[in-house]
Amino acid sequence: MIWQQVINGISIGGVYALIAVGYSLVYSVLNFSNFAHGEVLMVGAYMGFYALSALHLPFFIAVGLAVVVGGLMAVALEKVGYRPLRLRHAPTLYFMISAMGLSIFLQNFTIVTIGPNFRTYPDIFPTHPIMFGALAVGYLDLVIFVITAISLGLMTWFICGTRLGSAIQAAAYNMRVAGLMGINPELVVSIVFFLAGASAGVGGVMFGMKYTVYPWMGNLTIKAFIAAVVGGLGSLPGAVVGAFVLGITETFAAAFVSSAFRDLFSFALMILIIVIRPGGLMGVVATEKA
Amino acid sequence: MKTSMVWLLPALALFMVSCQPKGAKSDTIKIGSFGSLSGDQAVWGQADIQGQKLTVEQINQAGGILGKKLELITYDDKGDQLEAVNAVKRLINEDKVVAVVGCNSSGRNIAVAPVVEASKIPVISTFATNPRVTVPEPGKLMQYTFRACFIDPYAGDVLAQFAFNTLKAKKAALLYEISSDYSVGMRDFFKQSWQKMGGTITADEAFKTGDVDFRPQLTKIKESKPDVIIMPILYKEVALSAKQARDLGIKATMLGGDGWPSSALLEMAGDAVEGSYFVNHGDVDAPNVQDWRKSYKDKYQKDIEINSILGHDAMMMLKSAIERAGKADPQAIRDALETTKNLQVFTGVINVDPATHNPLGKAASIITIKDKKFVFVKQFEPAK
Repeated sequence: MIWQQVINGISIGGVYALIAVGYSLVYSVLNFSNFAHGEVLMVGAYMGFYALSALHLPFFIAVGLAVVVGGLMAVALEKVGYRPLRLRHAPTLYFMISAMGLSIFLQNFTIVTIGPNFRTYPDIFPTHPIMFGALAVGYLDLVIFVITAISLGLMTWFICGTRLGSAIQAAAYNMRVAGLMGINPELVVSIVFFLAGASAGVGGVMFGMKYTVYPWMGNLTIKAFIAAVVGGLGSLPGAVVGAFVLGITETFAAAFVSSAFRDLFSFALMILIIVIRPGGLMGVVATEKA
Repeated sequence: MKTSMVWLLPALALFMVSCQPKGAKSDTIKIGSFGSLSGDQAVWGQADIQGQKLTVEQINQAGGILGKKLELITYDDKGDQLEAVNAVKRLINEDKVVAVVGCNSSGRNIAVAPVVEASKIPVISTFATNPRVTVPEPGKLMQYTFRACFIDPYAGDVLAQFAFNTLKAKKAALLYEISSDYSVGMRDFFKQSWQKMGGTITADEAFKTGDVDFRPQLTKIKESKPDVIIMPILYKEVALSAKQARDLGIKATMLGGDGWPSSALLEMAGDAVEGSYFVNHGDVDAPNVQDWRKSYKDKYQKDIEINSILGHDAMMMLKSAIERAGKADPQAIRDALETTKNLQVFTGVINVDPATHNPLGKAASIITIKDKKFVFVKQFEPAK
């Protein structure tokens, strides 16, 4: 039973990781989090859903579409909701208010246009589990795990192994100095939002396949934000570690304490981390973020 | 002068007769009705009221009640509590009805209950299943509010008896929504009757509104090897948890309540809910409803809903009460409603409990899911 619960925890953590990375990435460069990230996930999930069920596109093309749409969506949100504030050097609180506005707008826009119904992805992968003795591993969970690993690997390569990635690292270190060195800060911000949005797009498709698609599904990304905080906001490996720590903590709390107390444990874990290690598990204090 | 006065007298008398309030000595009995004829609950409200209208028509064709025809006055509450209160006030104050039938929602009936209480006009709800509709707090009874449906927690008792006696299950696991009165109530009653009969509870797992992942709970449930899993929850969570349960290799039969029936359940859950059972208030496929269903189809050119059946049953409760009261007087009807005994209606036998105004021991319909369709199994009479 313990091992089955560990598998459950990893399977939940995998989805959190994809979303948490988006929160962390934006924070690393701009020192605030995009709280409309959940709605990017929602749009990605709907994109994937319609690509598969209405357009009958192959699975990987549907994921690709969700990635592109999620990325562009995040860039658009930045231009509309955050850029004007950034240029005016507005206090962080204004960014949060703007994000709330964007979230509420997008949720309601979806309810009015697409409808409040729950939608289910067609079965793309076998629904029966793969059994290792008494341990059941969902086929879909394996797929999600692999896709998550590939996405995170690609993102790490982009940030650590390309010139644009170096620019992002430089901007994360100090945006103003990076600008003086000839890096275009607007371009860096757009790329960062695109990457975050793209990962949310993948996350949305994973989430939709695993659970279901509905207009306010973005609300669930609050858990991924907790994961990012636990891992250390601004640190990508931290976000991934935080996601798995949170996934397993939640699962164990539900399994061995009481399922009704699950969220209590998530939030308690976050508070505990903030009190003991304000930078998060892997937050390196403002020297080398991203 | 004198002669002209004499001339006036008959005219005056005539005038007074014609001015008498309509219906006071007429040959009809005025009954009010309200429900959501428009709005997002229109499907249910229309089915409900069309069921009532057809029933009134049939009663009138058979000679009416106490030799008088029924006159049904219907208002739309748009699925809104304020509109419902206005509709009922209008029925009572302007139309002077002797009783009100409706409506199809607990929220609106809770809003309307104080109004009928103050006006002393009985109301019979068709589909308000929340216990607080008639008993807003323990020890307090809404004297003028009644209902034709059984209450939510009662379904838990029915589930327990059906699983134990018919499915011969001995070990049950529970999965319920801790933040919902509906779910907690049904789970409590299930547990109570289950343990009284000698069944064991192997796992009792909760989740919170909005949760989408139930694997930790389901893994515990799987470990406990139950015969049945009781899921008194709503269709979205049923679909998700059923799929995840099958993913984990759980094969136990799943059972639930009236939060299940929705075409969205079949769409979302697919094969995962095949062979599951749930209890409902009645069913359109129940054999005793088929003749009436045909008349309904002839009249409205569409099929009945479960709400139509309860609309009929509420009207039959009122008919029986007026007949036993012997007069169309609101107070006498209320007293007769309270002593309704062994009244056979479509959804079972109604015995009104004077302490709670809920129908006691009413039959429930058991529905199963087969080939992605809801299939009526039988009417189930729980033991007392």
